Amino acid sequence: MTVAAAPDLDPATGFPAGLAEDLAAASLLLARRLHAGGTLWCASPAWPHHAQHVAVEFVHPVIVGKPALAAVALAAHQLTPTARANMSPGDVLVAIGPADDLGVLDLVRRAPAWGVAALWVGAGVRPAAGSADHVLWLPDDEMAAHDGRFILLYHLLWELAHVCLEHRGVLEPEPDCNGPVCITCSDEGRLAEVVSVAGPTAEVRIDGVLEQADLALVGEVRVHDLLVVHAGMAITRLDATTGRDRR
Amino acid sequence: MTTGSFLYPMLEDGESDPAALLADLARSAEAKAVQSAQLRSTTLADRAPELSRVAAAMASAISAGGRLFTFGNGGSATDAAGLAALFSSPTVGRAVPARSLVADTAVLTALANDVGIEVVFARQLMAHARAGDIAVGLSTSGGSANVLRAFAEGRRRGMLTVGLAGYSGGAMATCPDLDYCLAVDGQSVHRTQEAQSALAYALWELVQDLLGKLTRLDSEENR
Repeated sequence: MTVAAAPDLDPATGFPAGLAEDLAAASLLLARRLHAGGTLWCASPAWPHHAQHVAVEFVHPVIVGKPALAAVALAAHQLTPTARANMSPGDVLVAIGPADDLGVLDLVRRAPAWGVAALWVGAGVRPAAGSADHVLWLPDDEMAAHDGRFILLYHLLWELAHVCLEHRGVLEPEPDCNGPVCITCSDEGRLAEVVSVAGPTAEVRIDGVLEQADLALVGEVRVHDLLVVHAGMAITRLDATTGRDRR
Repeated sequence: MTTGSFLYPMLEDGESDPAALLADLARSAEAKAVQSAQLRSTTLADRAPELSRVAAAMASAISAGGRLFTFGNGGSATDAAGLAALFSSPTVGRAVPARSLVADTAVLTALANDVGIEVVFARQLMAHARAGDIAVGLSTSGGSANVLRAFAEGRRRGMLTVGLAGYSGGAMATCPDLDYCLAVDGQSVHRTQEAQSALAYALWELVQDLLGKLTRLDSEENR
């Protein structure tokens, strides 16, 4: 019943292929950011108790001697405004909810503009590729939210993050330019959230940093709209929920 | 020889190569997932007879108008909230009056500040509970004083009292105020909580099944 595995799941772990590797990578990212002073923000509009469970694991560890780490559960009410006001560049968001959860979608869509790394835990239909920095997903059914399998995922996140924190050698910050092409320096457009509008230009937040963007190509924008900005020029306005071009 | 991590003794302390560490972490995550799946599976199998008895008692209490109150501390508080939500707002099946006694921070902090943390659940039951209602308390250690106090209050009020515990039940295993104690025999807090959650979900499934049957019987009798 509860632990019966679908054909594409490993019968012993109940995991789909790649989930263990995703958990490991997400844990290292989380450990690096917590080590550098970041905060873990937990949000689950569908199941607020899961967000609280994640936060209490980090703040008050069940294993004596483990350090208390900065984690907070966000209330479901006014989720995006509260997150926007409180999150700082270098923080991490763990969002828990199904792929069609509008509250989660809005947060993970905006996180890059805030300089926040996003982890998304869920089950059922998987979100679109690239929806979050790490998607920790059980493909079979949403009952995983109730029968202990979600709890396993975030317990492992906590356990693995603490292992990383014990290995100081791996905690150096993520390199900004780690390949032949650096996103920051390349020709690529970057996600921006509008902070204020003044005539033909807007003040926007990109990777947590305030910049000016020319609005000539996108026309009228409002505060909190999402834009793609390239070389100081806003080139596209995005729908916050779908991420699609909405010109 | 390195000592390795307390949580993951298979990993070496000196590891500084992220790729090697990530590979080790992934294998460790799989090993823990296997332990979790095994404990959830054996717990459900070992507790099946007790689960059926608890589900029957809960379904009959609910059919008679009983309401479900859940409570616990820390991670168990969140699991208690999840259990109440599963009963009161399921995506499928019948919604049942159920709520957690950890939801209202005004009530919790008022009681904790003015009286003490040990009464935060018992006092709420004094205000709300009637004979025939159901108290489900969760405690991974089985020994949370405020959960045990709530069982005593529940018993005084004629509630059906059910405990979900780890460590083979702890103090709950011999608690005279409990009608039923569903215990997990795990020695790790995390694996135990995962198995407790599997038990709670199985309980909800069984109660739903029984409520469906009771409803069908009722409608046949009234025909």
